[in-house]
Amino acid sequence: MTTQALHPSVSPQEPPRLTGMSEAVLAEVAARLAEVVAGASVPPIDLTAMPLTSEDRADLEQRLGRGEVFATVESAGRSQIWETQFSGVWFVRHFGENDRIASECIEFGAAPEILFSHRADMSAAARRLAAALQSADAREKTDH
Amino acid sequence: MPQAPKLAPTLGELLQERGVSRRAFLKYASYLSAVMALPAGSASALAEGLANARRQSVIWLSFQECTGCTESLTRSFSPTLESLIFDLISLDYHHTLQAASGEAAEKAREAAMAENKGKYVVVVDGAVPTKDGGLYSTIAGVSNLDMLKATAKDAMAVIAVGTCAAFGGIPKARPNPTGAAAIDEIITDKPIINIPGCPPIPEAMAGVVSYLVSFVKLPELDHLRRPKAFFGETIHDRCYRRPFYERGLFAEGFDDAGARQGWCLYKVGCKGPVTYNACATLKWNGGVSFPIQSGHGCLGCSEPDFWDQGGFYRPLSTNLRDMGPALAGAALAGAALGAGAAWASRRHQESYQREQNPNEGDKK
Repeated sequence: MTTQALHPSVSPQEPPRLTGMSEAVLAEVAARLAEVVAGASVPPIDLTAMPLTSEDRADLEQRLGRGEVFATVESAGRSQIWETQFSGVWFVRHFGENDRIASECIEFGAAPEILFSHRADMSAAARRLAAALQSADAREKTDH
Repeated sequence: MPQAPKLAPTLGELLQERGVSRRAFLKYASYLSAVMALPAGSASALAEGLANARRQSVIWLSFQECTGCTESLTRSFSPTLESLIFDLISLDYHHTLQAASGEAAEKAREAAMAENKGKYVVVVDGAVPTKDGGLYSTIAGVSNLDMLKATAKDAMAVIAVGTCAAFGGIPKARPNPTGAAAIDEIITDKPIINIPGCPPIPEAMAGVVSYLVSFVKLPELDHLRRPKAFFGETIHDRCYRRPFYERGLFAEGFDDAGARQGWCLYKVGCKGPVTYNACATLKWNGGVSFPIQSGHGCLGCSEPDFWDQGGFYRPLSTNLRDMGPALAGAALAGAALGAGAAWASRRHQESYQREQNPNEGDKK
């Protein structure tokens, strides 16, 4: 008896490529966006470990579409961030080594956190800029 | 009046000097949150925790091992997101990676222990020989057994990296001539985290260390002290070939039609149903592939005594006598789901082996 004989209705084929996961994620996106509109702060949806097939990912990306903003962040590797065609819904994709996707999520709100400058960085920048101006000033005085 | 000792800079300050912004922390934290399946939205807290922490002193001890665990951690990273782990820790002692050798190396270990008493983390790869007073492996004239006990004494926590350190691994395989033992058989009074695998997934090592540095507590562990974030599900649970298993479609040899069509490898010995690890989701070599995707069954390398489970190419259902009750239960459940695969696979495996090695019977 062969294994296939035990399952006569099953044909040897690839697992389904569009699994319905993108549909489920989109429903969750809609629910979270509605919460944001009502004034709540909602956590991102992490797509990294979800069992999405490449077709699911493409479907999700295509249905969310692209909006008016696209940004690239160069910090510990490259990140791509774009607002989807639905204002307040952001796609955040971080790349690791060899340009593979290290993590990706959908964030909600006015802008994703990674686009904001951190207060600690701004403080350091203020010190750096002041020091640069001071040394330029000192150089000028020495030249004269 | 004595001056208060100057505190070491935080990781945020340290990296800022090198032009690394807080965005890098946030990105790293997002990445770790994803691989460790931390609650949604915890990336910000993790990033802040990391930025405000100080570099964690790590003493890495290598005993009965092959250096594969170190290779896994170091060779899988390039100067990008993943390499940040090396900025988070101060690797104060590591045979393979440190420049110092001989007495200078041992002095570095002793200095790190004295300076960071009660705060340093000991990472161990390799089992520890205990037979005949542990004389089968020594470093600088000190047995591994004595070095482990002395170094772990003032440690905050011990991380057993790799199956040899976590469970004894290959050195402990029958007949275990050196009396090789796992770390938690020797150290019983410290928090211990096991990160098994032969080698372990680099993200699991980096993730656990980062979690420890950031939250100053152990991640949630299972009954074998493995972090649930990486060892909470079986390979089978997340295997992309599982739909074939559910339909009862199995490769019956490595070159048959089923194998070519990517069917389930249960019948050719895959230990995925009883192996807890994250290979199926995180994969290897920068996410390129993992053994099952490359056409070979899972060996079960992150489970205790994986080397002595009766053969890598025997289906689970043929090994039940050698396994503990939990493992046997899982295998039975798998066999039931596999719709009669057990009997058929045993028969087939025998005939397949006869086909592959027609003269083997003559040798016996």
